[in-house]
Amino acid sequence: MDFYYGMAQLIGVHTLLGLSAYVVLLTGQVSMAQAGFFAIGAYLGGMLTVLAGLHIVPAMLLAAVASALVATVVGFPALRVKGLMLVVATLAFGEAVRIFWFNFDYQIAKGNIQVGPLGGEGFKQIRYFPENGWSTADVAIFIWAWVIAAMVALWWMDRSRVGSVLRAVGEDELAAQSVGINLTAVKVSAMGIGGFIAGLGGAIYAHYTTHIEHLNFGVVLATFAIAYPILGGLSSVIGVLLAVIFIQGFLVEVLRFMGDWRNLLFGALIVLAMNVRPDGLFDARATRALKRLLGGRDA
Amino acid sequence: MKRLLTIAAAVGVAMSVGTTADAADRTVKIAGFGAMSGVVRSFGINTDAVMRAAAKAINDAGGVKLADGSMAPMEVSFDDDRCNAEEGISVVRRIASSDAVVGVGPTCSNVAEPLFGILQAKAGDEGDSGLQFPIFTDTAIKGGLAKISEWAFRNVPNESQMYQTLFEWLASEHPDAKSVYGGVEEDFAHSRFTWYKVMKTRSADAGYEVKGEAKWLLNDTNFTTQVRAMKRAGADVIAISAHPFTTCGVLKEMARQRVEYKVLVGLTSSSSLETLNGCAKQAEGIIIPTSFAPVNPDAVAAADAAAALGGSADLHSAAAWEIMMILKDVIETAGIQATADSVAADRRAIRDGLATLKTTKGLLGEITRTDEGEAVKPYVYVHAADGTWAVLHDPNT
Repeated sequence: MDFYYGMAQLIGVHTLLGLSAYVVLLTGQVSMAQAGFFAIGAYLGGMLTVLAGLHIVPAMLLAAVASALVATVVGFPALRVKGLMLVVATLAFGEAVRIFWFNFDYQIAKGNIQVGPLGGEGFKQIRYFPENGWSTADVAIFIWAWVIAAMVALWWMDRSRVGSVLRAVGEDELAAQSVGINLTAVKVSAMGIGGFIAGLGGAIYAHYTTHIEHLNFGVVLATFAIAYPILGGLSSVIGVLLAVIFIQGFLVEVLRFMGDWRNLLFGALIVLAMNVRPDGLFDARATRALKRLLGGRDA
Repeated sequence: MKRLLTIAAAVGVAMSVGTTADAADRTVKIAGFGAMSGVVRSFGINTDAVMRAAAKAINDAGGVKLADGSMAPMEVSFDDDRCNAEEGISVVRRIASSDAVVGVGPTCSNVAEPLFGILQAKAGDEGDSGLQFPIFTDTAIKGGLAKISEWAFRNVPNESQMYQTLFEWLASEHPDAKSVYGGVEEDFAHSRFTWYKVMKTRSADAGYEVKGEAKWLLNDTNFTTQVRAMKRAGADVIAISAHPFTTCGVLKEMARQRVEYKVLVGLTSSSSLETLNGCAKQAEGIIIPTSFAPVNPDAVAAADAAAALGGSADLHSAAAWEIMMILKDVIETAGIQATADSVAADRRAIRDGLATLKTTKGLLGEITRTDEGEAVKPYVYVHAADGTWAVLHDPNT
């Protein structure tokens, strides 16, 4: 059972990462910076529990706020570029964050060992969960409480005027601007919300793995972050969850026995999935069907 | 009443048949894991082959003696963690949810560190909810990792000691060599640690002037700039702390730029077949301390058994052979039951057994075990000569 709880934890963390990219994508911005925000959340979250001795919840929230602030700051210059240029710019930011942690040393003595980030050697002993007696099930429930909170918040936002504004900007910036929508506020807000969710995910990730290093937050993670909402579809937050389950649960875990062939099949299956479901695994039709199933009004 | 007795008898017979079958079917399950895909997959492939070869040797000799005196075969499985921390954790959680009594792995230090972190730090600490599952590491070699958890044990060489004696020996053998220049695979935990914390400091301790280091990344394929800096430094000793893939790239670039040196030193993980397959000509003469070489009948037999199953015995995979033999002894001494109900107790017994070991038998001689779960292994210096690894010096003689 421990394994399934562990998988639930992993899927939960990646869902937060995917949701962070989802909210930014709604405004039409393809951000490869989510791994950078995730890294900021991971390192700060870890430092706050290990070095400052904070409880996990305030540590996560502070780390998420810091990530959100950085994301907001990044959001302003990102306004000046679009499309592929934005991809390159945000990718460069993500790499800059990674390199920052690669060169960042801050350790203090805790008992007979030194703890804290140590550049390329990483940041170990982020053992808040086991040291406080949290079982694997407790951690899974804790993570999913955050995931569900984030999903419900985004679901609600999607159904509110805010969601319509985000989607309007994503669909056609000019049209949105012509009806008085403030593009700067919308895009920067989306980036900030995405940064907050990525920071939450990162802080949990650091405590889930107990050891983080710069290599965990590279281009591959940034690609995963953006792949989740694209593969899952932008119709609903459910799509992100389905995509994470498909990638982490099926492609990574179930196909593990295939060795190197798994990597090959990995790409092929994603291409296949996107051809079969071009609007994502959970597209608008699926969203309408779910709404009907839940007895709600049709979109 | 008669019907009830009949049913009870039938259930009794069924249970006894089941019990008999269970006793006959008992196996000691050892779960290997490591990189079977990606850049460092050869490590996992070799470890898998060596573990299966060792299990075959043990089973051919009758298997493992259990607590009740019966003999059970060893069964080995192997999972791919892709040298990825998240996947390593998932793999170990899955193994720990099975009836495997011990895990052997991982390949990469960046997987070992988080993995040991999710284990219970102090065995029996009820306030620590970490995983209670013994892990015996054959390959991840970055210094001092086993102290993270009392459930973690390693059978990897002590690089600090190996390079200290190597540089001291080089200083006496090559008194004309006065300076060292390093090359380091900067983003790989082991390579980085070994250069900055081991090679650099140990060479300075041996009296060498350290002129600096060139840095590259594990996935780099172009080393022009780094080798140019290396050539400009004009050091007598070039010490490369990198794995076979980039070691070969750098050596080829060094040959292209005609870098001159008196002594070439490599990372212990590069004393493998991969280096010779990749750049035997350019690696000619490179000196590496290693805890395995087929220099005695036991080591030759282990290497042959691994080769028969498609693997290559090197310092890392040979450690897996030693681990399997150590586990056999520990299991027999600890007296495990290998039943579905005894998994937790068996794991604890194996952990406790491993923790009490002071010495074990190794392929090159006696291995000393430290209180922190680490090994101090015998080693030799090998050098690449005519496309093979030949023993250059045995510091124990």
